[in-house]
Amino acid sequence: MSLYTYLLIAAIMFTVGAYGIITQRSGIKILMCIELMLNSANLNLVAFSSFNNNSTGQVFALFSIAIAAAEAAIGFAILVALFRVRDTINLDNINILRW
Amino acid sequence: MNYALLAPEILLTILALVVILLGLLVSDRSKNVLGYLSAAGLIASLVYIIGTKGEGSLFYNAIVVDPLSQIFKLIFIIVSLLAVIASISYFKDNRNQDEYYALLLLATVGMMVVASANDLIALFVGFELASMSTYVLAGFEKKNPASLEAGLKYFIIGSLSSALMLFGMSLVYGITGSTNIPAIVEYFRINPTAAITTLNVIALIFLVAGFAFKMALVPFHMWAPDTYEGSPTVVSALLAAGSKKMGFVAAFRVLVLALVAIRIDVQMAFAILAVITMTYGNIVAISQRSIKRMLAYSSIAQAGYISLAFVVTTQLSISGGILLALGHALMKGGAFIAVAVVGYMVLSDNKNARNTDDLENFAGLGKRAPITAFSLFIFFLALAGIPPSAGFIGKFVLFYSVTVEAVRQASTWLLLVVIIAILNSALSIYYYARVIRYMYVLPPTGEKIKEPAPYVIAIVLAVIGTIGIGLYPEPFIRWAMDAARVLGVS
Repeated sequence: MSLYTYLLIAAIMFTVGAYGIITQRSGIKILMCIELMLNSANLNLVAFSSFNNNSTGQVFALFSIAIAAAEAAIGFAILVALFRVRDTINLDNINILRW
Repeated sequence: MNYALLAPEILLTILALVVILLGLLVSDRSKNVLGYLSAAGLIASLVYIIGTKGEGSLFYNAIVVDPLSQIFKLIFIIVSLLAVIASISYFKDNRNQDEYYALLLLATVGMMVVASANDLIALFVGFELASMSTYVLAGFEKKNPASLEAGLKYFIIGSLSSALMLFGMSLVYGITGSTNIPAIVEYFRINPTAAITTLNVIALIFLVAGFAFKMALVPFHMWAPDTYEGSPTVVSALLAAGSKKMGFVAAFRVLVLALVAIRIDVQMAFAILAVITMTYGNIVAISQRSIKRMLAYSSIAQAGYISLAFVVTTQLSISGGILLALGHALMKGGAFIAVAVVGYMVLSDNKNARNTDDLENFAGLGKRAPITAFSLFIFFLALAGIPPSAGFIGKFVLFYSVTVEAVRQASTWLLLVVIIAILNSALSIYYYARVIRYMYVLPPTGEKIKEPAPYVIAIVLAVIGTIGIGLYPEPFIRWAMDAARVLGVS
């Protein structure tokens, strides 16, 4: 496969994730979409790294995988805390703050 | 390697871990001490940064220490110090205080790493350290639905922006084959034709969007008012005054260097972004009843002024941007803490009060809490840009630099941008004056209260900083000029 195939797949993953964040109303689904976007960037990094014979990209991808895991943990923690108070994680019902 | 350059970061990281560890060992009642411990650590870092003017690079040039990084570290530490001092009162007798202070210190370390980052990996890790700590801080009152909602909104938008930024960074890495910022700039200098490809423009757009979310520029601002309103007020101070500046230092390091190197003409795009941001922020701020929300929109407007620095990218304009960022950190941090005092006052009248930052609660504040009211008065005048204050110095240097550039390029529209910015400053006086009228003209609705000492100390420190920079701006202007010189602009 050529570099462009990987870039295309990454771009599609990124778009799917962005579309999901805009349209989905469930907190869990939004977290999944965020993971999708972060991983598309990782795919980009690893593809560039492998095709350019340069290992920096893989190091960057490792860092970003670890960070994505921490980010997901924090997201779930906030959702659990919210569920305890409001009994819902549907974003349509989470609208106290508005002008 | 000279680890002494990183002494403040190392000290604060160790302190954060010590605070968490002590939180496990001591009883709930003695956790109030942790606030004083954190404040002491921050003061030590502050003294170290002001006292030593070290320069150098570490970790294979991934971290640099130079005037630019040091002046932004100064901003971050001052803001976090103000927040910690105010939190001693705000989170008094809270049994989760240990986690609060540890997260606050880690957020500060993250911002400091961003200020020093000379490599996209370090930049990303620092960004995420600061962001993740502040997501939790924004939702820290876990029984309060508004705080959790603020945390969730901030989390979703924040991770979206980091995903955009990471995607942009991956493209930059793909184009240049390096993550080191000077190496990237060098690549574009050697291959000027490589600079203007579609992929490059896409990468630039992703990076700008990622940073603009943190800076809360319109149209990437929608999280800011919600988050600042819902978060605990001292955390709003940290977010508005500190976390926002993190976006600016990253943008200065990456965008300014890149723009100077690739010479794409994006002046117009940044000018439009800046003008829309300041106008939108000021106009929407007028109609707000919640003071925290009003301050949030006013800080969007201030971000608009600061981003004028990207429009002309001269040494003078960037140092103006840095000065305004420093001034804004003091003024906005102080103003949010003053709002926290009002919240304390309302809650001591009525334990179940809601919307403690409503405009009505500011009626007669001049009689009820004289120190807070007078300081808030000074912060508002400073935010509006009235001399002698840090806000005036920053705005003056910034607007002057754009005017100079407009005259040099004989460009009418740049002059128009300056005029719009000055009119915006005048407009902002309207909504600040409304609050001042409530504080001093309307009759008080309750008894005079005793303002808790930690709040008073934090507010008075912010006032001294605001007025001090206004009266004696010379060393700060010189420092900011040195900082701008690092970026290689003339």
